[in-house]
Amino acid sequence: MTNPILQTKGLEKIYENDGVPVHAVRGIDLDVFAEDFLVIAGPSGSGKTTLLNLLGALDTPSAGRVFFEGTDLSSKSKSELASLRLQRMGFIFQAYNLIPVLTALENIEFTMMLRGIDKAERHARAQAVMEELGIAELAHKRPNHMSGGQQQRVAIARAIVTDPAVVLADEPTANIDTATGKALLDLMERMNSEKHITFIFSSHDPQVIGRGKRLLCLRDGRIDSPRE
Amino acid sequence: MILLNLAWRNLWRNTRRSVIVLTSVAIGVVATVILDTLSRGMIFQMLNNQVGSHVTHMQIHRAGFHKNPVIQNTIADPERIETVLRSDPEIVLYSARVVTFGLLSSATNSSGISIVGVDPERERSLTTIRSYIVEGSYLTGAPREIVIGKALAEKLEVGLGDRVVAMASAKDGTMGSELFRVAGLFETFSSEFDKTSVYVPRSSAQAMLELGSEVSEFAMLVTDPDRLAEISKRLRSRLGEEYEVLPYTDLLPFLVLQIELYDQSMVIFYVIVGIALIFGIINTMLMSVFERIKEFGVLKAIGMKNGRILFMVLTEALFLGIIGTVVGFLVGYLVYLPLSTYGLDLSAFSGSLRSFGVGAIVYPVLTAGVITNALIIIPLMAVTGAVYPAVRAMRLEPVRAIRYV
Repeated sequence: MTNPILQTKGLEKIYENDGVPVHAVRGIDLDVFAEDFLVIAGPSGSGKTTLLNLLGALDTPSAGRVFFEGTDLSSKSKSELASLRLQRMGFIFQAYNLIPVLTALENIEFTMMLRGIDKAERHARAQAVMEELGIAELAHKRPNHMSGGQQQRVAIARAIVTDPAVVLADEPTANIDTATGKALLDLMERMNSEKHITFIFSSHDPQVIGRGKRLLCLRDGRIDSPRE
Repeated sequence: MILLNLAWRNLWRNTRRSVIVLTSVAIGVVATVILDTLSRGMIFQMLNNQVGSHVTHMQIHRAGFHKNPVIQNTIADPERIETVLRSDPEIVLYSARVVTFGLLSSATNSSGISIVGVDPERERSLTTIRSYIVEGSYLTGAPREIVIGKALAEKLEVGLGDRVVAMASAKDGTMGSELFRVAGLFETFSSEFDKTSVYVPRSSAQAMLELGSEVSEFAMLVTDPDRLAEISKRLRSRLGEEYEVLPYTDLLPFLVLQIELYDQSMVIFYVIVGIALIFGIINTMLMSVFERIKEFGVLKAIGMKNGRILFMVLTEALFLGIIGTVVGFLVGYLVYLPLSTYGLDLSAFSGSLRSFGVGAIVYPVLTAGVITNALIIIPLMAVTGAVYPAVRAMRLEPVRAIRYV
């Protein structure tokens, strides 16, 4: 059996909400393997976004460990975690979160620029990904001139253009209609099967849950029912 | 390049706010540039007036005369000095003078003065004192003529053609005196100079002071005043230690010091203006950062490091500072151009200006110092003002920032 890309051991997260401690994640042990298409599902407040943030090195656990490609993330500095996210991870957000003053092409090139890839190469790679995702005509449009579905496609392109080991998507279909959501899921499934990119979703959208190769249901911060 | 692009476009997200800040920076720079050029103009005018009307580019005395200008300390062999000056290709004009302190008396009053005995013909081209004659004429070369300041004439209650007596210690220790007839009255840029300086023919002064052919000093103009240090060094080596060769920077140390002090104080002034502008920049950049909290969260989430966030925010402020400064400088320059030609008439303050040796019309002077002060200090201060907002952006936690509403 292959080693997991991501692994958690006894993961806990407690944060304070108006001075009241909230136990968002309780003792989660999880293995995520290469090419997984994992959906973390659960009702609002079940801890799925918190778990996704912990897996994506965006947040630090109160207890327990997160291992990425065998490395304990608790041993990393903030700067090292930023490098890890830049080099090995991609992120898709519920509200797309494209940079509003950059065009679609520039948004996609941005992470490559942060990685120090030269202009010609990042331009070529961004255009290739846009062609692949069918959004080439959006290259010079800014986010405010795109529909929600188009913005999310650009966000997906931004997430995968650097060939990350894992893409973490937080409620990626929450703000778009069903048909567009289906098209986006088709796209991500294709990236998963063709480019072997690992996807981890947090969602309570039945459409997303139905597509997951693996499903992890959370309730009150605990794993309720895993489905392989 | 994308980061610079991003910083530039971020600047124009809220055009009105950016324009307001740019305008305030520009106004600050306009005011500072005009004030700076006018102040420099006044100081240079003080210096040029003194150099042009009397001091000249350089003077030669017998060693020690500048510190102790007694009549006994004269140049005994002026021909030797003349030979050296005539053979120097960088000396344009020179003239020998007799200088001493004494008393000038009329029938009704008397006043302490500096008596300058000059060769009228040579002095005509050497200094500008003739241009300040307001009544009568400059020395014609006739014996026992005297040209005095209008203010001194009023004090002594004398006019053109009136007789005055000059008295001063002669070289042999006796009291020398001479009767002069007022040939002309001058009114210069300096009321103090007008009250204390008189010009007489050198031969009359030499006779009165028992000097024979001896003189007190040689005053001269050079081809290039920027080469005074080299020229004076060369003359020193040719004349030896018996003589002192002093460029105007040594003859007017107070004014030169004033220029140096002014340069330093203007840097402080620019910094103060910059500090005033900083608050506008801090406010603008803080608002800009707070409006983009979610975006900073996303940037950090996708791996942008704090160094780059700092760079981006500081660059936005730098753009603000540079644009505001350049616009302000250009506007200031447009104001400066006509003023440098026609001058700024400050006749209303002419009394106090004359006491400082400055004319009623001040011409601003644009120097490299003005340009570098404005173009470097103000943008730097703008960047300084963005440090705190940038630190706030750097401290954002991506998880909280992304959720920020």
